[in-house]
Amino acid sequence: MDERRYTRRDFLRVALAVAASPTLLVACAEGPKERVVNFFNWSRYIDPKTLPRFTKRTGIQVNYQEFADEEEMFAKLRSGALGYDLIVGTDYMIPRMKALNIIAPYPPGVLKNLGNIDRQFRRTPYDPDDAFTVPYLWGTTGIGFNKKKLAKPPTSWLDLWDPRYSGKIAMLDNARDCISLALMLKGYPETETSDAAFKAVRDLLLKQRPLVRQYTSSTYVDSLVAGEVVMAMAWSGDVLQAARENPQLDYVIPKEGSYIWVDNLCLVRGSQHREDTLRLVDYLLEPKVAAEIADKVRYASPNAAAKPLLDASLRDDPRVFPPKREMEQLKFHALLDPDAVELWNDTWSDIKVA
Amino acid sequence: MTQTAEAAAENLPARRESRAEKLLSWLIRGASPAASHLLLLPAAAWLLVFLLLPVACLLALSLATRGPYGTVVWSFTWANFGRALNPMYLPVLLRTAAYAGSATGLCLALGFPLAYYLSFYAGKRRETLLVMLMIPFWTSCLVAIYSWMIILGRHGLLNDLLGRLGLIQAPLPLLNNGFSVVLGLVYFYIPFMVLPLYGSLEKIPRAYLEAAYDLGASPAEAFLKVTLPLSLPGVFAGCLLTFVPCMGDFLTAEFLGGPRNFLIGNLIQNQFLMSQDWPFGAALTALLVLSLISGLYFYQRLEARQIEP
Repeated sequence: MDERRYTRRDFLRVALAVAASPTLLVACAEGPKERVVNFFNWSRYIDPKTLPRFTKRTGIQVNYQEFADEEEMFAKLRSGALGYDLIVGTDYMIPRMKALNIIAPYPPGVLKNLGNIDRQFRRTPYDPDDAFTVPYLWGTTGIGFNKKKLAKPPTSWLDLWDPRYSGKIAMLDNARDCISLALMLKGYPETETSDAAFKAVRDLLLKQRPLVRQYTSSTYVDSLVAGEVVMAMAWSGDVLQAARENPQLDYVIPKEGSYIWVDNLCLVRGSQHREDTLRLVDYLLEPKVAAEIADKVRYASPNAAAKPLLDASLRDDPRVFPPKREMEQLKFHALLDPDAVELWNDTWSDIKVA
Repeated sequence: MTQTAEAAAENLPARRESRAEKLLSWLIRGASPAASHLLLLPAAAWLLVFLLLPVACLLALSLATRGPYGTVVWSFTWANFGRALNPMYLPVLLRTAAYAGSATGLCLALGFPLAYYLSFYAGKRRETLLVMLMIPFWTSCLVAIYSWMIILGRHGLLNDLLGRLGLIQAPLPLLNNGFSVVLGLVYFYIPFMVLPLYGSLEKIPRAYLEAAYDLGASPAEAFLKVTLPLSLPGVFAGCLLTFVPCMGDFLTAEFLGGPRNFLIGNLIQNQFLMSQDWPFGAALTALLVLSLISGLYFYQRLEARQIEP
């Protein structure tokens, strides 16, 4: 009989360990003069060396967490997830977060490096007074594809409707990208809410549905690399990041034009570490730091002073910084009122159920 | 300090009940029966705080209205339930029930022989085998899901292997369809099936089987007339523990499924995280819980009636 016997001392040890752990955690969290910034960012959206360097220079720890889906991030913040000091929010999200008092305005004149930002990204429709946002990175929505698996590279959005690639197409899983695309392809402005327009949107997306392998915003790059899909509606840098190791991947902005979006550093209202957070934001605005992040994540930097420092392969890449003529075909997403947001979300939800 | 206290306790002459021990005796065997009801207190408090209150909140939420930007407006309405009963969502519900049903059936088909072996033949290896059964359960389910994606992909490990062996000409579609979702569900939930099955088989007194043999039953007869009927509570518990979580699962379908494998769990998750329509999500959840509970209730009534005569 080889029965393992747990002695009382074993039990005590375990019990003590279990009992002590929450106390320790609480003790950690309550340190009064603790210098830390809790930073909530998109996944794969920073150079892994950036934050350790910041900590080394300033002694401020950065507690870094990532999200893969912005609506989920929003749901988390809205339901009162406390403790974040700095978040990254896309342009269209700003009015919502402002309306729900999730983000706070920047105190004027504190950020020394704010002047580095390209004027093109200031006085934006989503933050006309430049009060709530500091642009972090920007990118475009287009088509990521596998060069080896396609006879010729896609040029039009409608290539995503090509039945020859049935079961080998991935689409982003969110209302903003897909509904805006369908509206654009049907020739409606983004603010259109008429029944006729939305019937057309629904029909167009439902027509594509049988061809779609997966609606996903998080795994499409893996699927492209693995050859599961040959074309995916994609965000520029996601594909270009992966393309460095998988040269068969490429990215194109289709000829119909597309949307440009800006991710912004936003202060969370009620943050306990405002001063240290502002130091981090100022650090991220330094030309060298902004350039190193953009080089790493392959998205475009809105930091004008950083542009000369960028890796030439990034700076001269028309897929990252589109030439002027293409740039004119790129639009910011329009600001939608709450009713329109509801309509978009419900339409998207229904398309996925259909 | 505790160690010295303990050592001291061990050195004491045999019996003088400490105050703590007296209290424990009073609780366990209680002179007054009321005292033993106190044993329910911790669990009851737990359930109240972490089950009943959240469910009450959920019900309240399901009767509220969605406000601008996904806020919740506390005005009373049945509209969310009306919307949830829209026939548009019926295929999703049926699909979910079909997937959960097939996953449960497969778990039973795979799990029963396994549990039978564990209980009757495993002998000394039993503990090892049980631990091995639980190991997948200890890995993060996202890691497991991504591994399945690597195995099942068009150019994944399995297709690659079959191709090299010359068994297939073109890659089989193994991922992002009903097959991969059910496979994922079976993979995740099979311990929930095997453990209750094993428990109920283990409880069958072996003397009953010997008696059956003595009375001339063949092994097949003994199995069909003794083992199987006595294991039915385990079968029922196992099916329940598998079917119910499968009905609410959304991660498996999210990653291993495709557009045609959208389940009720995905629909609910979408309401909370994408559409920001919490009241509607709450109504869907309430209906799912309600239908599972009423299904269970009727099943038990049926069981009870069969046993009575």
